[in-house]
Amino acid sequence: MNAALVSAMLGLGLAVIMVRRRSVAILLLAAQSLVLSIGALSLTGGRSGDSLVASFVLLSKAIVLPLLLYALIRRTREVRLVVATTSPLMRLLGAGAVVLCAVTLVPPLGLGDAHTEHAAVALVLLGITIVVARRPVLFQLLGLIVAENGLSLLAVSVPGGLSYVIELGALFDLALIVTVAAAFAHRIHSQLGTGDSELLRGLRD
Amino acid sequence: MTDLVPILVAVVPGIPLVGMALALIARTPRQADLLALATALPAAAAATALAATALARGGQPALRGQWYLLDGASGVLLAVIALVGLCSFAVSPAYLRTSGRSWTTAARSRSLYYAALFLFWAALLAVPIVGNLAAAWLIIEATTAASALLVAFSGRREALEAGWKYLLLTTLGLSVALLGIIVLAISQANAGHHDLHALDWHALRGAAHALPKDSTLVAFVLLLAGLATKIGWAPVHNWLPDAHSEAPAPISALLSAALLPSVLLIAWRVKAMLEPSVGSNTTHAVFIAFGLTSILVAVPFLWQSLPWKRLLAYSSLEHMGVIGLGIGFGTPLAIAGVVLHVAGHALAKALGFYAALPLLRIDPAAAHRAPAGVVSESPSTAAAMGVSLLALSGLPPSPLFLSELLILLGGVAAGDPLISAIALIALALGFLGLLHALIEGVVGERARHRRRARSRAERPIVALTAILGSGLLALAAAGLLLPGSSFVETLARGAL
Repeated sequence: MNAALVSAMLGLGLAVIMVRRRSVAILLLAAQSLVLSIGALSLTGGRSGDSLVASFVLLSKAIVLPLLLYALIRRTREVRLVVATTSPLMRLLGAGAVVLCAVTLVPPLGLGDAHTEHAAVALVLLGITIVVARRPVLFQLLGLIVAENGLSLLAVSVPGGLSYVIELGALFDLALIVTVAAAFAHRIHSQLGTGDSELLRGLRD
Repeated sequence: MTDLVPILVAVVPGIPLVGMALALIARTPRQADLLALATALPAAAAATALAATALARGGQPALRGQWYLLDGASGVLLAVIALVGLCSFAVSPAYLRTSGRSWTTAARSRSLYYAALFLFWAALLAVPIVGNLAAAWLIIEATTAASALLVAFSGRREALEAGWKYLLLTTLGLSVALLGIIVLAISQANAGHHDLHALDWHALRGAAHALPKDSTLVAFVLLLAGLATKIGWAPVHNWLPDAHSEAPAPISALLSAALLPSVLLIAWRVKAMLEPSVGSNTTHAVFIAFGLTSILVAVPFLWQSLPWKRLLAYSSLEHMGVIGLGIGFGTPLAIAGVVLHVAGHALAKALGFYAALPLLRIDPAAAHRAPAGVVSESPSTAAAMGVSLLALSGLPPSPLFLSELLILLGGVAAGDPLISAIALIALALGFLGLLHALIEGVVGERARHRRRARSRAERPIVALTAILGSGLLALAAAGLLLPGSSFVETLARGAL
């Protein structure tokens, strides 16, 4: 995939971990999914089946899922922003360290394109970092999708592409997980009056 | 019977999916209960028939179709999932009668409960028979969505916490596993195999020798690390005690007895197919590390005074460790132990979780603290708890005594006497911990302010104790025939 598109995906992933507002984070994620889909479409080489699947994924990930998430934040309004445990700069430094780890530690995965391999693994790690570092449940959900975009980046770059069954199956699973997670986020907000996951720390031994 | 296999393979997960649709159109709670049980019965019968077909083939090669693979391990898992699933449907009305309102109205909650349970069961029944690694991943991911809703079904704050944690951690774990699958797909694509069937179990096994060692090793480690999260192996087990203890008892039984070993089966298949490329030393080391760590992490918790379901959850961690250890040793003796352990653990653990239903009815506070003196309030519940704990602790004639013995001897045969010795000491300490819980919780001095159980309400647990207790004894007898059998030899060779 085009190196600029891959770098843009990584940059947007880094931005998700920094921003405070949920609506901005959703926009960034939609942009990341859009960049991924443009890259995927450019790799189809005009094959109609591949283009159709890539277009369907584009519609789902860059439009439908962000709209669902936006509807969720409309229904779970926060009286005030959830206080972050670390500053944006610290989060960026942490995320930068994660990306650096991916670049230096990940061995060749066989793709023959080290930039894409490193970016894909870095996005998976960034997704995990977002889940760990951000307190609002919606950001944690966004972390899952950032990690999934990293996987999609690697999947669309497989020579000849992955089977439609896997791509569509993974998309179906993602939609299922996001729907269930959105239901959880809504329920957590109704129960606690906020989407702050710090309040969900009662179970201990 | 083999001619019917392709039909049964479609019918087994298909009937629960029909059940899911029926559950959503049920108008009254009674109708939902009846429809659920009426659909669960034929689904369990079809799954049992498929399991019997697989088991009757003994040491013969696995049956394969375009989308399925049916071997001895599939047979064991199918039988377990069918039985525990059916029992969970049978006891669900008792749970739902007392659960009240959860996420929505009581009537709607019941429909959603059954719909999610059928989806979860359908996915569980599909995991052991699916013939492709990527398809297996997709199905396991689907189990997460359905079961997370069930874990948080009560809608209580603690249940939401447990369900959210389970959803996040297992989804992230499975993302790591998917990364491993894509790395394998890249290797296969570089070798000219592009389509979905390049990730079929037998295709991967056939191509393993030709796969590049370094990237296959990366794929293996990623797959195992990711699946370990869903299996609940230490150190990535954080969701397990919370989810098992907060879920409704029928769901906890399915999670522990069916979900964890089903995912473990996929990990086992990954080991079998990639071993020619990665090397047996590496695969053994990874499984033994996860297995032994899980046992060592679980045992101290078995000594703590924990609520009943939380104690059972830590026991699951211990037993998944034992099974991982057995697969890691990989000798025929150890594999005989693994087969017996999967079945024995499922029956004993399911009975333990079902016993939580009458226990929490007579003593609701037992959800948050260790039970005490249950025998004086409800002898039937105490009997179920006692049978479950004694079986789980591995006291003869429990089949888990024989299975653990076989696994440890299998470790010695594999040239790992030190690992076997450490595991033996840890299991002995775990045994004492569970015995302590039995004496304190079941026989000891009773807590105050508790309702005395009505004999009519105790009938289901009496029946389940009789059925599952007899099953445990039958397994102990059947287990004696396993070592040296062609069935076990084939599994130990990893033939797919």
